Amino acid sequence: MDTLLSGQLLFAALVSGSLYALVALGLNLVYGTLRLLNIAHGDLVMIGAYTAFGAFSLFHLPPVISVFLAAAVCAGLGWAVYEGLFRRLLANPTLAKRVEANSLILFYGISVILQNVVAMTFTASSRGYQYLDTVITWGGVSMTGNRLLTLIVASAVCFGTLLFLRHTLFGWSLRAVIERREAAQVVGVNLNRVQLITICAGFAAAGVAGTLVSMTEQITPFMGFPFTIVAFVVIIVGGLGNIGAGVLAGFCLGLVETYGIALTSPGYRSILIYGLFVAVLLIRPEGVFSKAVRS
Amino acid sequence: MTDTMLHVAGLNAGYGAVQVLHDIAFDVARGGVTTLIGANGAGKTTIMKVLAGLLAPMSGTVTFDGADLLRLASHDRVNGGVSLIPEGRMVFPGMSVEQNLRLGAIAPAARAGHDEALQDVFRRFPKLKERRAQLAGLLSGGEQQMLALGRGLMARPRLILMDEPTLGLAPVMVKQVFATIAELRAAGFTILLAEQNATVALELADRAYLLENGRIVQAGTGPELLGSDDVRRAYLGM
Repeated sequence: MDTLLSGQLLFAALVSGSLYALVALGLNLVYGTLRLLNIAHGDLVMIGAYTAFGAFSLFHLPPVISVFLAAAVCAGLGWAVYEGLFRRLLANPTLAKRVEANSLILFYGISVILQNVVAMTFTASSRGYQYLDTVITWGGVSMTGNRLLTLIVASAVCFGTLLFLRHTLFGWSLRAVIERREAAQVVGVNLNRVQLITICAGFAAAGVAGTLVSMTEQITPFMGFPFTIVAFVVIIVGGLGNIGAGVLAGFCLGLVETYGIALTSPGYRSILIYGLFVAVLLIRPEGVFSKAVRS
Repeated sequence: MTDTMLHVAGLNAGYGAVQVLHDIAFDVARGGVTTLIGANGAGKTTIMKVLAGLLAPMSGTVTFDGADLLRLASHDRVNGGVSLIPEGRMVFPGMSVEQNLRLGAIAPAARAGHDEALQDVFRRFPKLKERRAQLAGLLSGGEQQMLALGRGLMARPRLILMDEPTLGLAPVMVKQVFATIAELRAAGFTILLAEQNATVALELADRAYLLENGRIVQAGTGPELLGSDDVRRAYLGM
């Protein structure tokens, strides 16, 4: 009982929750505005992680700097994928109808390519580096600096994005595209521009998450898939395309996972995550936090 | 000679292999109401979609103030002064009334005068001012239509395309929508109105076109079509 009430456990839950929220944020933005099922999303987390690892081991750049590099690399990939693959597909109404299903296959291909390019460049063995790993104790809670940094950066990006969506005209136009794509066009939203910026931002968010992961965990070219799964669980629990609810669901999944494991054992991790997923699909398939407002 | 604002010629359009519009040609004169009447499925909404840039036609030309409209993307058409009030209102349900309206002024050309435009819309539709903080999805059908109209006006259009603005509204609201259209005409707006509600639309219209199965079968002034036997028989049930 003492462990359950400890700040230690809460801190651990918030760290993984913020990370899940951040990984899912990018996926949700891309799904919401472009209706693309990006199953290579976790591989972008991996690309971000390797960018930070490469920058650290080759140029001694700390993650606080290479995080920008990782975001830029992933945003560049987003640009390439949009301009090279999806721009024309989405502009053609007949092809656009099938793009949601086809995107699954296209992104599967991208996933395989990314994993193997990285495996060829860095070999398949796991990598890691040490950064801010000294333990600090604060208010009775012991934490490593890198985990604290993970919590701060991931939360800042998530809540910063939510504020942006709430208070800027561009944010509104993005929400307009999510809510009613055709109406957004009618109003005069530049659909192409919103889509391009969103895919770049969504990919960049995955790159940031990857940098954060690389500070605390061993990385491999095949680390991405579990992140893809977690991100899909989070956005389905929150409600597809519902950005704010997705962030909330990310934190909830972190709490469920951490406290669930504390009550049972680490062997139950997958059961907890998939159990939550299946329960939500059975009970509230439209998402736990989705608003009922639809006209 | 009347001053033509929108000129449509030889327009063919459809969805996939199904052709809906056949050789459509009509003009919209500056300052006044032009109406397209016709039964459900006659092709009114398809014409509106082509004009707004939501559907690429198979062939044909559309010129707006002498410039080729079909070459422009939909947001550039809004920026150029063509604004569609779509069928079924299409407000953004999860956003407030005010956010919906402000989004209406997202076109660069409309952004500068954006606050006066908002006050102007609130003067025209006091109900929207009362409900400015409410989610658009919670408004009644009539209020949503007012919102869609207001949102279209925020773009400072020179040509307003209205697609079935009275569809599914209570009689009181239908009256109010037509009163608003008359006010907008008096204020100097040019309006292209697609309506099923033929009598009222024709009474209001300076020029009218009758659509049947994707073809324009009759054209004339509002009173002319109102007096035409074809129209009376087919659409007015007289």
